[in-house]
Amino acid sequence: MSYNIAVIGFGLTGRLAALELSLKHKVTVYESGDEQALDSAGKVAAAMLAPLAESVLCEQDLALLGLDSIRRWPSILAQLDDEVFFQQQGSLVVAHQQDKGDLQSFIQRLKPLAGHHGHRLTGAQISELEPELAGRFNQGVFLPCEGQIDNHAFYQASFKTLKQRNVSFKFAQTVDVDSGNLQQSFDYIVDCRGLGAKSAACKLRGVRGEVVRLFAPEVKLTRPVRLMHPRYPIYIAPKPNDQYVIGATEIESQDHGPATVRSTLELLSAAYTVHSGFAEARVLSIQTGLRPAFSDNRPQVTQQQQLISINGLYRHGYLLAPSLVADAVARIN
Amino acid sequence: MSSLISDSFSIYGEQFTSRLLIGSALYPSPAIMADSIVASGAQVVTVSLRRQQSAAAGDDFWQLIKDTGLKVLPNTAGCHSVKEVVTLAQMCREVFATDWIKLELIGDDYNLQPDPFALLEATKILLADGFKVLPYCTDDLVLCQRLAEAGCEVLMPWGAPIGTGKGLLNQYNLRTIRERLPDTTLIVDAGLGLPSHACQALELGYDAVLLNSAIAGAGCPVTMSHAFKAAVEAGRFAYRAKAMPEKDVAAPSTPTMGMPFWHQDFGIKNKN
Repeated sequence: MSYNIAVIGFGLTGRLAALELSLKHKVTVYESGDEQALDSAGKVAAAMLAPLAESVLCEQDLALLGLDSIRRWPSILAQLDDEVFFQQQGSLVVAHQQDKGDLQSFIQRLKPLAGHHGHRLTGAQISELEPELAGRFNQGVFLPCEGQIDNHAFYQASFKTLKQRNVSFKFAQTVDVDSGNLQQSFDYIVDCRGLGAKSAACKLRGVRGEVVRLFAPEVKLTRPVRLMHPRYPIYIAPKPNDQYVIGATEIESQDHGPATVRSTLELLSAAYTVHSGFAEARVLSIQTGLRPAFSDNRPQVTQQQQLISINGLYRHGYLLAPSLVADAVARIN
Repeated sequence: MSSLISDSFSIYGEQFTSRLLIGSALYPSPAIMADSIVASGAQVVTVSLRRQQSAAAGDDFWQLIKDTGLKVLPNTAGCHSVKEVVTLAQMCREVFATDWIKLELIGDDYNLQPDPFALLEATKILLADGFKVLPYCTDDLVLCQRLAEAGCEVLMPWGAPIGTGKGLLNQYNLRTIRERLPDTTLIVDAGLGLPSHACQALELGYDAVLLNSAIAGAGCPVTMSHAFKAAVEAGRFAYRAKAMPEKDVAAPSTPTMGMPFWHQDFGIKNKN
């Protein structure tokens, strides 16, 4: 049966929901910004798919959900007319000498995930995986099941494909999901507003993250490198065309203003200490995003009759969204 | 026993029975933070405002802290100059409606060591402005004396640099400060990693400990919070009970002289 469905919010989850639902239903997308959804966390993110590394801090069920999502990404991207960079060649975790203790505790806290686990590496093994890191680190961990995608390319390609599928777009429109008006026009409403859904009833908070994009032709890293840092995990994620995403900070603040000098210094010095080739890199952008999170930092898919909400993906948007969207879509199909 | 149970210490005239002050940073989630704080039995929670950019931006997180119902001790973590801490202390006073301030003024970024000179200067300015200052300081006796002379009723010397989890690196210094400033409330702040470290601080006669990473960075923060609560209680009981003197020569707890000979036989038989 085909339904008339409204998807509210055109960030990462909104795009995934629209892609799945438009295969079978008539979809209208509402978005408060434009087609780029510049305010959405998914636009700014480093777009890591790191279930094993995240298992250090999150519960096992979420990490397993992340593994499930990684399996879904290739078929999602195969629907798109344009190619989107997706990589699953593992990620490398390294630490400077003074952060060795943090690396040890990271290794101890990795949760075994359905047969996937980390491998300790010597300095020589690190340089086999990433020749340009030779001599820089004498220990690390390789997490083979991990990957990443190019989120900017995904944002563009998903919009293009949805337009071709005749999905209707209502940009620059803020809708009142709770008023019940939409329920009269649509069979289902899928609420993907992220932080836009914050209200007295919906106790979301924003967790600020800052991300730097660099153009670094001198650096030839082939997979994401995670550097142990005392406050937050910093990834150096190589994207196509010699671009690198360095991020992200994690600050309990809803300030959406430009990145601070301190955060910028932390991110850039982290990159520079991993590879001195970043010294001559060009800074393409320094962006700030707000991750929507509930107080337990766990995502929620909830349903009230025709209204289905997907929210609270926190720092795990790309890692969890495909599985959460599949859950929401299954409730409709 | 009743005197032990009602045992309390003072922070600028307010009495507290829990000798564990807890931090609010670096937990896996705010929910785990809230559960850890409850498990710790703490009556005071510290919070940092430095990186929130604006008062409104941190509202949701601060509300979670206010919701704990505990006394809030704002800190000036991340400040490097007298001007920065004074400005931030004033902002903290507005946001949390408290005149308490944990004064943290970093002199060396590598080990987050307090700058003793700027700390003393800032302490005097804030005390004159009506603040109740709890300075985070090194374990230097003269610095502690100067801070107490300036009017601090509470001092918080470090056990070790922040986040190192090394425990009490210089027990001699800490013991000396305790002996020389018997009327000042002393709290070991920073550097603790294990409950036994906290227990030691209390055994030395420190009034309390303040910690964050040791709980937030544990594999299971809530369980570690229970462990610290118990350790702090053990250390305080031990201090009040007054430990036996340490000796270099063994002294049997059961004198053998006067033991009936058949009991001694029994022991030998058993051995065979």
